[in-house]
Amino acid sequence: MKKIKYIALSLFALGFIACENDTLDDLRDRVNQGTEDLPDLSAGTADFSNFVSIGASFTAGFTDNGLFIASQENSFPNIMATQFSKIGGGTYTQPMMSDNFGGLILGGNPVLNPANGERLFAERLVFGGAGPVPLQSINPVAMSTTDFALNNPTGPFSNLGVPGAKSFHMIAPGYGNLANFPAAANPYAIRLTGATPNASMLDLAVAQNPTFFTLSEVGGNDVLGYATSGGDGSNPITDTATFDFALNALVAGLTANGSKGAIGNLPDITSLSFFTTVDYNPVPLDAATAGFLNSAQGYGAYNAGIVQAYAFLVATTPLTQAEADAEIAQRTITFAAGEGNAVVIVDEDLRDLTGINMQLQNFRQATSDDLVLLTAGSLIPQGGGTATPLADTFVLTPQEQQEIATATAAYNSSISAAANANGLALVDLNSILVEASTTGIAFDDYFLNTDLVFGGLVSLDGVHLTARGYALMANAFLEAIDETYGSNFVASGNVAKAGDFPTNYSPLLQ
Amino acid sequence: MLFTVISFAQTTVKGKITDNTGQPLPGANVIIEGTTTGTSSDFDGMYILTTDQAPPFKIIISYTGFETQTLDVTANDQTIDVQLKEGNELDEVVISASRTPERIFESPVTVERFGLKEIKNTPSVDFYDGLENLKGVDINTNSLTFKSINTRGFATFANTRFMQLVDGMDNSAPALNFPLGNLLGMTETDVNSVELLPGAASALYGANAFNGILFMRSKSPFDNQGISGYIKRGITSQEAAGDNDYTDLGIRMAYKFSDKFAAKVNFGYLKGTDWAATSVEDKLNRGLTRADIDYDGINVYGDEVSTDINGVAQLLEGLGLAPAGSSALVPSVDVSRTGYDERDLTNYNAESIKADWGLYFRPWADDFEIQYVGKVGSGNTIYQGANRYNIKNFFLQQHKLEIRNDNFFVRGYVTEDKAGDSYDMVFTGININRAWKDDNTWFGEYVAEYIGATLGGATDTQAHDAARVAADTGRFLPGTPEFQNAFNASINDPDLTTGSKFQDNSKIYHGDANYNFSHLWDVADVQVGASYRRYRLNSFGTIYTDTDGPINYSEVGVYTQIQKSLELSDNVEMKLTGSLRYDKSELFDGFFSPRLSAGFTVNENHNFRASFQTGFRNPTTQDLYIGLDVGRAILIGGAADNPARDIRNYGLSPTGSALLGGQTSIDFDGTGAYNNSFFANSVTNFAATGNPADLSIANSNLAQPEQVSSFEVGYRGKVKGFIIDASAYYNAYKDFLANETVIAPFYGDVQLTQNIPGTSTPLAVAAIANGDFQAYQTYTNSDADVNSYGAAIQVSTKIFDGFDISANYTYAKLDFDVNANPDFRTNFNTPEHKVKVNFGKTELFKNFGFNVAWRWSDNYFWEASFGDGEIPAFNVLDAQVNYRIPSLKSTFKLGATNLLQDEYFTAFGTGFIGSQYYLSWTINNL
Repeated sequence: MKKIKYIALSLFALGFIACENDTLDDLRDRVNQGTEDLPDLSAGTADFSNFVSIGASFTAGFTDNGLFIASQENSFPNIMATQFSKIGGGTYTQPMMSDNFGGLILGGNPVLNPANGERLFAERLVFGGAGPVPLQSINPVAMSTTDFALNNPTGPFSNLGVPGAKSFHMIAPGYGNLANFPAAANPYAIRLTGATPNASMLDLAVAQNPTFFTLSEVGGNDVLGYATSGGDGSNPITDTATFDFALNALVAGLTANGSKGAIGNLPDITSLSFFTTVDYNPVPLDAATAGFLNSAQGYGAYNAGIVQAYAFLVATTPLTQAEADAEIAQRTITFAAGEGNAVVIVDEDLRDLTGINMQLQNFRQATSDDLVLLTAGSLIPQGGGTATPLADTFVLTPQEQQEIATATAAYNSSISAAANANGLALVDLNSILVEASTTGIAFDDYFLNTDLVFGGLVSLDGVHLTARGYALMANAFLEAIDETYGSNFVASGNVAKAGDFPTNYSPLLQ
Repeated sequence: MLFTVISFAQTTVKGKITDNTGQPLPGANVIIEGTTTGTSSDFDGMYILTTDQAPPFKIIISYTGFETQTLDVTANDQTIDVQLKEGNELDEVVISASRTPERIFESPVTVERFGLKEIKNTPSVDFYDGLENLKGVDINTNSLTFKSINTRGFATFANTRFMQLVDGMDNSAPALNFPLGNLLGMTETDVNSVELLPGAASALYGANAFNGILFMRSKSPFDNQGISGYIKRGITSQEAAGDNDYTDLGIRMAYKFSDKFAAKVNFGYLKGTDWAATSVEDKLNRGLTRADIDYDGINVYGDEVSTDINGVAQLLEGLGLAPAGSSALVPSVDVSRTGYDERDLTNYNAESIKADWGLYFRPWADDFEIQYVGKVGSGNTIYQGANRYNIKNFFLQQHKLEIRNDNFFVRGYVTEDKAGDSYDMVFTGININRAWKDDNTWFGEYVAEYIGATLGGATDTQAHDAARVAADTGRFLPGTPEFQNAFNASINDPDLTTGSKFQDNSKIYHGDANYNFSHLWDVADVQVGASYRRYRLNSFGTIYTDTDGPINYSEVGVYTQIQKSLELSDNVEMKLTGSLRYDKSELFDGFFSPRLSAGFTVNENHNFRASFQTGFRNPTTQDLYIGLDVGRAILIGGAADNPARDIRNYGLSPTGSALLGGQTSIDFDGTGAYNNSFFANSVTNFAATGNPADLSIANSNLAQPEQVSSFEVGYRGKVKGFIIDASAYYNAYKDFLANETVIAPFYGDVQLTQNIPGTSTPLAVAAIANGDFQAYQTYTNSDADVNSYGAAIQVSTKIFDGFDISANYTYAKLDFDVNANPDFRTNFNTPEHKVKVNFGKTELFKNFGFNVAWRWSDNYFWEASFGDGEIPAFNVLDAQVNYRIPSLKSTFKLGATNLLQDEYFTAFGTGFIGSQYYLSWTINNL
């Protein structure tokens, strides 16, 4: 009897174990938001064990008009490689610069432009309190130590990004041979070649027998050089046939051994801040200056001259009065006291009147359809666009913009075809830049745009991206790779986080 | 000779009362049958009864836990020694379950009793804490001195569903609608008995007795006179607060001047140090620490103030204080200000001073009595509601007039509270920060530095770190005079935008009447009764929307109960009880609450019972009339006229200002919460997706009474030496009173029919996107299905020659679809499983006894307006040994609570409960 009693009591006291229940779980889950379980990372059908990148400045990590250790660490393929390393990716090697100043020297000496004596490959730009300034204005003793004759790193390199390389450069033997510098070699390519000075960028990639590659900015410099020179003819757009040949050679070479890869198309480079920062009508004038500019000592003579010239043309050629009036209106130059005076530019597409009157050059005032380049920004306060018309090299007129757009569309059509034909992931960088430059683009908690300095996406040189911009680009590649190869970088959260990548580099970084 | 018969000669009876082992029983009651004349035994078990009545008559001798005996007195100066036979807890008499005395064994519903014996034996620090070891009872520990009792689930510290009556008076604070534990309640030596009815008791006790009701009855000075008292000294020991002294003392003085007049006075004083609440975990369960930008520590205050810094950057741009376009460098994330630890905002002084007095007049020396009872109490404690409050010098007074006899009572009382120097610790933290640097400046400096650091090359984390350092430069540090000045200014300022003082002077007027016809009719026992209550809310606009003067409203109720016993056979007796109550609040339609129960007693040893009852609960004064900005939301009561009275001025975004014609701020009242609002959860989703289709309309309904239907079955009995008491219940709630968090846009309709002129963007969506909205917590009824069920069983017996052992198990389960009701919180807050075991012996050696209590609680999830979080399982061991010295009429008790020293907590946000060690000396508590 007593025994039963104790058994009953002990059972009663010990018979309970803490069991979970559904309601408790639900309540817990409701509060613990944001801790949802992400799937495990999968590579899909891709093999990231040997990853090589070919491209130009974006691939290299060029930013703030320079390439330096910190910027290379934030190059977009290196950001991708960080994610790849979680799923079989091997070591990703880059041709590291010697410092964080950026810039290059040759044989211990700065490289000077023979035409004007200015530094070529100068140190990077930094934020000077209001806008971009040369590093040396903050740190006068900063001088590049990366010497492309004396201290080139030893390859092979996974990152074969060469700032300034055009499509056909990437397949050109000797482009990395010091002996060809400066005529037909690029110092950044010279740093890559090592013992095989005549190997092309493509040769260097193929020699590594990659399992995965990125091909990016092919064709970028083919239009960029034209654009940043204002379409003045010194740096022509590569014709489509040449581009196609280079592109197809690159894709064929890279995929020859069955490597998979991703290829980025070209954005509309004219939406970069280099082309959008300076307004067409940025000039404030007082009444006296405006009056002087409008006077016969200013543009009064030109205005009067074109009226006479068109009168002559109407009288002597099939030109109608209406057509002449439209052109007169386009070319008449007037200034007013106050803000918002449009700059005077040279537009080679205007009717040539110098045959009639040597003084009547191809001047007109810029309109909102013209893009005034960032390089004109410093000239305008000194009378550029007013006292002196802005040269062709500082402005992209609508006709020049159209040439860029046409070439870009043609290149992109070829890139898309090449990607499809070879089953490559196609990264639509074009759409991303359109979005960023119009509405702005969300990246984690940031809302980035292409404004210079403050937009967060474009670095201080107005063309290249910030580290945060490169992180966005890397994520775009990862997203396209997910779609094509069935990996899940995005879905598993293995992507770059905006906040981990700065928009600027400290002037104190050495 | 007739003369001698009616002479006033006095009869004296004396004797000794002992238990079955021969030990004297002090404090046993001796009453002349049919009268209220009586006495009680002294510390040696001796009694002397003197009466005008001439023999023969009968005396009834009773003692808790023993079977009552009735004995004949045949002569004057007769000596009657009595040996009482030990009974069991089911034989104890309760009066609350049916509003008339009856044995627990045959009570129609579940009832718990905590009497003198239990008070003497409990290892808890005091009798109120001792209730924790009863089956079915949850005690939620707010602080050392404020514990909140509940049964059957749905409890927060603002436990308005549970009622506490002290000698028939509801001792909830009018401003709060719930009692502050025993802080202002009863002195231990004056406690006659404590009864607890789990489950709805609305049929007899009205609207608030919804989850359960606790009755505390004091000793009448006619029955217990003399001076008694206790003193306890000890320490509280907690990791965060260290070891601190603890003193609790009380004295009771009662004197029976004659058979017609008696009086008593009680005084109690307690001083200690509260459990320090030092949790720095993230209050919003995101796992953040102060290293994170939007940290909001549980017991860190001031960091509740947070804002989206991208919005700040845009404002700075607009004002020309940041470079145009630089907001793109600033992420759209919430950043919180740096807070202060709770321990810097309170000294954790736990103190209470309470006194009560009563005058009792029996004009005819019989059971007809006129009472006046007054109670005052003042205390310092911590209360956790929507925020955490330092209740300081809180003052409560009650005055009662009651006329009664054995068959009826009429009573009226008034309760008044004064908030004293109480303050909101959360707002104290917030407003010390603001006194130093206003929010706009702080966030402005933060963002400016964030931009600067980013342009200088910082990553996000580095920029945030630099920004916080810059914005916090010069912050008032605890211990400095400037901190102390700001602290003092805050706690004396009732305007929550600048201060944190809690102001209140509300009152409740209450009247009750009851008549029991059982002495008139033999057919059945019939009772009728009525109650009336009037509220007068007066918080000077600081809690309620009573800026323009006090808010008054009233409730009435009437009830009746019929009880009938039937002999079904020789072995089976049936007791049927039916009750019906009608209540009408000035604000709502009337409600009937019926209760039906049947009890069957079989073979005198088994009692089976079943009952059905409905209960209802009017929305509390806070549910109806609150208008309190607690930082993250404005609490806005659901009375029809309430929301419109909560008018505040809000700044508008630049876009909002343009849309509304240039005004930079807007006067907005609380009606939007009830007629033009979105669910907060849907706004969160919208923020994530940007899809207006994710917005769902809330438009909370105004608060209505809540109803419960409760089924209960139970068994009590003696089975081969085991005493078993078991019950199970199922509660179905209707119109469950709950809170919704809603977002009211300052412009645009939530149906999205109004667009920004010339666009297809709905105005209300723009308002949300621009931050032109206010979050409200509304008080409303849910149409969600909320049910709960549970069971409790206790088994007790004697083992090893006289050791008492009992074990009980309580099961409680919420039946509610959380996922289908994402915006609705039931605040069930109750573990699914609880086990409690008691072991002891009152007479281990001569005059020496001990008791050990162990309890285990399963883990559960706590939801309340202050915050939500997991409560881990815990087990607690309390123990005491006691020694009686009859010559000194004294009992010494050495006790310890939480002997295992594993600190635990019963609610999210409170201090952890440490251990208490005490030695008490109780004199003459019979």
